[in-house]
Amino acid sequence: MQQPAHAPFRPRMSVSRMFFLLTVLLAYLFLAAPLIIIFLMSFNANQYLSWPPESFTLDWYRALPQQTQFIDGLQTTLITASASTFFVLICGVPAALALNRYEFRGKELLSTFFISPLLVPTIVLAVGLVLVLGPLGLTNTYASIVIGHFAITFPYVIRTTLMSLLTSDTSCEEAAQVLGADRFTVFRRVTLPIIAPGVIAGGVIAFIVSFDEAVISLFVAESGRPTLPVHVLRYVEQSADAAVAALSVILILFSLVIVVIVERLMGLRNVLR
Amino acid sequence: MNTPRTKLSLAGLTKSYGSNLPPAVDNLDMEVEDGHLVALLGPSGCGKTTTLRMVAGLLDPTSGRIMVEGQNITNTPVHKRQMGMVFQSYALFPHMNVQENVAFGLQMRKRPKQEQQERVMKALEMVQLDHLAKRSTKALSGGQQQRIALARALVVEPTVLLLDEPLSNLDAKLRETMRTEIRQIQQRTRATTLFVTHDQDEALDMADRIALMNGGLIEQFGSPHEIYERPRTRFVANFIGRANLFEAAIGSESSTGPDGLARYEISVGDHGSFHAVGEPGMAGSVRNVLVRPHRLRVGSAGTGAEGLRGRIESNSYTGDSVSYHVRVGSELFTAERLTDGDTLLSVGDHATISWRAEDALVLPEELQ
Repeated sequence: MQQPAHAPFRPRMSVSRMFFLLTVLLAYLFLAAPLIIIFLMSFNANQYLSWPPESFTLDWYRALPQQTQFIDGLQTTLITASASTFFVLICGVPAALALNRYEFRGKELLSTFFISPLLVPTIVLAVGLVLVLGPLGLTNTYASIVIGHFAITFPYVIRTTLMSLLTSDTSCEEAAQVLGADRFTVFRRVTLPIIAPGVIAGGVIAFIVSFDEAVISLFVAESGRPTLPVHVLRYVEQSADAAVAALSVILILFSLVIVVIVERLMGLRNVLR
Repeated sequence: MNTPRTKLSLAGLTKSYGSNLPPAVDNLDMEVEDGHLVALLGPSGCGKTTTLRMVAGLLDPTSGRIMVEGQNITNTPVHKRQMGMVFQSYALFPHMNVQENVAFGLQMRKRPKQEQQERVMKALEMVQLDHLAKRSTKALSGGQQQRIALARALVVEPTVLLLDEPLSNLDAKLRETMRTEIRQIQQRTRATTLFVTHDQDEALDMADRIALMNGGLIEQFGSPHEIYERPRTRFVANFIGRANLFEAAIGSESSTGPDGLARYEISVGDHGSFHAVGEPGMAGSVRNVLVRPHRLRVGSAGTGAEGLRGRIESNSYTGDSVSYHVRVGSELFTAERLTDGDTLLSVGDHATISWRAEDALVLPEELQ
């Protein structure tokens, strides 16, 4: 605070700072390495996955539409991921509202219970689901996948929605009530728009998690409704060409597009805060 | 009991948060005249906000009744009470622009589009912000948000306007301006208003009536002038303005004046006796007596002047005015006067304090 106002502080690049930046750069490179390698491999003309790439080709991308199992898998995945996201939002948003706005017995317990799927290993959950859904005749159906994915995505929706609720001003809702809005109108016109960032973030995360999920899908519906990740798993078991790499690049781009759209629409950083 | 001019009346209104806690609002009775601005004034935790929220319908009373224009609305849900409310945080809808915020209440009332637009613009003109109609509420200053909140509450022509500490989030200078502006708008629209505040200046300046609350009870309900000049309890005398309060033995009662107050002889220990006024019938008791500092005169002892004898404990001279602390027995009196060129008294001097009889009030509250 003692510095005179007209002598601005100019940071100089010191050796230690350069070293720090270099370390950070290397760390990022290490994290991104699999993506970069997949990306390069997908253009590799070699018949097998091998390093370094020999010559450039787009053949793997051209061949993708002929891989019918991938197309079928994608269809299953899109259906189950959309349905999971829909149901998890329908249930998660009211649940978060109840946890945030009402006092009732067992609230803490319920709150912990809602988050618990994050703590249970997915494989345990998957085995449990098979044991429960099997006798009900629900295995190998869309429903089985949706039920499983509902369980693992519910905590995310609860969390993101609760975050928005915690930072929102409840007097906005009271103001709307005094101005003549009944409970449902208050929710539709005031609460929901205010917590929309959290709800959308929860939805996007739920969709991506469900889209990506392999373990539960493998256990509950491998033979009946194999999802795209299940097909990828099978494919890699049998063959070792770069078709999977090409598919991966497309999936990465797909996720990227979703993230960019959300970022453009509302600022993902605000949403995930 | 309900005169035709009564707009809002509270009867036996009580709010209790638990059987082992003292009630937040305790058996409150109050009548608000049509067009009046009533300030609910008191320290934090006195129940003023709880009362306001019960009137709005945001809190259910434990018992008691709330009547508007003779109709019992105690069990009417919030959204059907047709009231207007300005919140401490303004509570503007962040996802709507200024115009949409103000139009919200009219939309809920399903007014035609054309009418909505006209009334919104009129309300915005009233608060002089019609040029900001399309602006996002986030881009507004505190004072502007405050005005939008007021416009939003008034545009629906509410039966009762409720203001919950609307000025507390503004800086001191803006608070003064908004105080005047809110009062002017309230008088122009003749909206019956309940105004919660902990700031006595705000209440004295703006209100037609002040309900001074303490511990869930109304200590006194009256015009600002009554509250300041004729406090009934020690709490009221201390809360509003500055006060010298001291215990005195109330002696003989003489003539009752046209204002209904009797003159009393009062004495403070062996420090002398003097005069005061108060409600008739208090002779022979020990009560609190109130004298405001600027109505207390201090003279040097030995001039033969009547009054209470004491000693100057400290003084502070600012040119225009001088203030003394005078010790009379165990009581410390504060006196504040404009200077008149006379010699100042110094610390340690013997002094006599005096006042006009009508400037000393015997409080009717009985001492425990």
